Amino acid sequence: MPVGPFGIDPVIWAPLRLVIALLLVVGLVFNGALAQIYLERKIQAIIQDRLGPLHTGPWGLLQTFADAIKLLGKEDIRARLTDRWFFLAAPSIVFSPMLASYVVIPFAPGIVGADLNVGLLYLTTLGSMTVLGIVIAGWASNNKYSLIGGLRSAGQLISYEVPQILSLVTVVLVVGTLSMVGIADSQPGLRMNFLVLPLAFVTYFIAGLAETNRAPFDLPEAESELVAGFLTEYSGMRWAIFFLAEYGEVTVVSSIVTTLWFGAWHGPFVEVFPLLGVLWFTLKTYFFVLVFMWIRATLPRLRIDQLMSLCWKVLIPLTLTNLLVTAVLLLVFPTTLVPVAIANWLLLGAFIVALPYFQRRRLVALRERLRTAAA
Amino acid sequence: MGFLEGAFFAVLTIGIIGAGAGVVLANRITTSALLMAFTFLNVAGMFLLLGAETVAMFQVLIYVGAITVLILYGVMFTPQVPRPYGLFFQTQKFWAALFVVPIAIFVALVAFAFRDTAAVGAKGGDLLPLATSVFRDFAFPFEVASVLLLAAMVGAIVLVKRDDE
Repeated sequence: MPVGPFGIDPVIWAPLRLVIALLLVVGLVFNGALAQIYLERKIQAIIQDRLGPLHTGPWGLLQTFADAIKLLGKEDIRARLTDRWFFLAAPSIVFSPMLASYVVIPFAPGIVGADLNVGLLYLTTLGSMTVLGIVIAGWASNNKYSLIGGLRSAGQLISYEVPQILSLVTVVLVVGTLSMVGIADSQPGLRMNFLVLPLAFVTYFIAGLAETNRAPFDLPEAESELVAGFLTEYSGMRWAIFFLAEYGEVTVVSSIVTTLWFGAWHGPFVEVFPLLGVLWFTLKTYFFVLVFMWIRATLPRLRIDQLMSLCWKVLIPLTLTNLLVTAVLLLVFPTTLVPVAIANWLLLGAFIVALPYFQRRRLVALRERLRTAAA
Repeated sequence: MGFLEGAFFAVLTIGIIGAGAGVVLANRITTSALLMAFTFLNVAGMFLLLGAETVAMFQVLIYVGAITVLILYGVMFTPQVPRPYGLFFQTQKFWAALFVVPIAIFVALVAFAFRDTAAVGAKGGDLLPLATSVFRDFAFPFEVASVLLLAAMVGAIVLVKRDDE
């Protein structure tokens, strides 16, 4: 009889492994969301000079648990004029791709659900499926605000997919593999891809903010103008599933950033204790989760036209240029990455300097036009 | 083909044919659009079974993530006039059969012609063959197709552009 890991028959081990992995991922998503909601409230409170949750448990730590139990206990309400099946299915359509993303994320050497050959493509694919659920949620709610939210989301997500994928392709060009494990292995020690491709990181991070519907790109669920957009008609656990999906997506995007640009699980002493990689990976990922929250507490929401022009007029040309330059430099200097790194840092500098300049010129032109129109 | 592959193949086939029929027969156009997305997902599953992971991913990325959403977009903006449903589809049985039967026979013949051909290759090995064929062996037709699409896009923008100012 063949013996698999832990002396268990492989016939039993394969389904057992699936069950363990599923439980781990569900636990990870749920606990991660609880932790992130607490962090989000505390961090926003600190930035806005408030105290945040304080009374439930020590430092208000149990507040999110109380909220979760409240949400679980709430009545499942569906307005009569909503479209029954679409309305009920939408949260699952948003939630399940996010859950499936965790399969390819390399948490530590050897700790990965599946080392897919096309891991990165798989992640972007799943990310693009979210939009379907949001559009359906907006439409099925039979509510004009929800519909606008859903359609905004469709426009936003499809547009920002382009710079997102272009940024990822730049990294793939340099690393030469689409497998998440391969990308993690390619950055030993301090040779992180961030040092080579900072611009791709910045563009991906901006696009990732938009893909996860996080502020300043949270137009689909804008509370103040769309009464929460596609979420308006949802309540209780269905509403919570959308938020679980959002926080899960934030974790996935942060994990992608960690894996692609910041050396995944690489860190001190990983060679000695491979399990330590989980710690480094989690710390790095949560650092970016914190940046997400910091940005949310700092920046005001964009208007839809600003959102679109940022994508089509700034990010897509920039990422295309970056891709072209990187590809050419890699062909000319196949042995060293130094020219690519120099070009990328220069482009990043140009981006940071030029953006406010063009913005100001555009504003001046706009004011001029308004003045002549008024005169 | 092992038992699992056979089982998956059966499930996916039922999914494709069932959802495909649903797209045509469903009463509401949004249901059709969603079923179409389901069909695409099943087709992606077929590609996975054949070991063509990359093609499967692109199938989902482009058809489920983008095209279905755009179709839903269009459907939602189209006013839905309540109309007797049978008006359009069910009076054209003869013409439908006239076109469908020859096409079905042709497709079946083509499919059976490939019966003894091996699948794309080892598991996950389709990325390299795909890339070489698109960017090396068929680079010229590929570029021509992209120029054509670009022209179509520019044309579409020009057509719908409002002439204010």
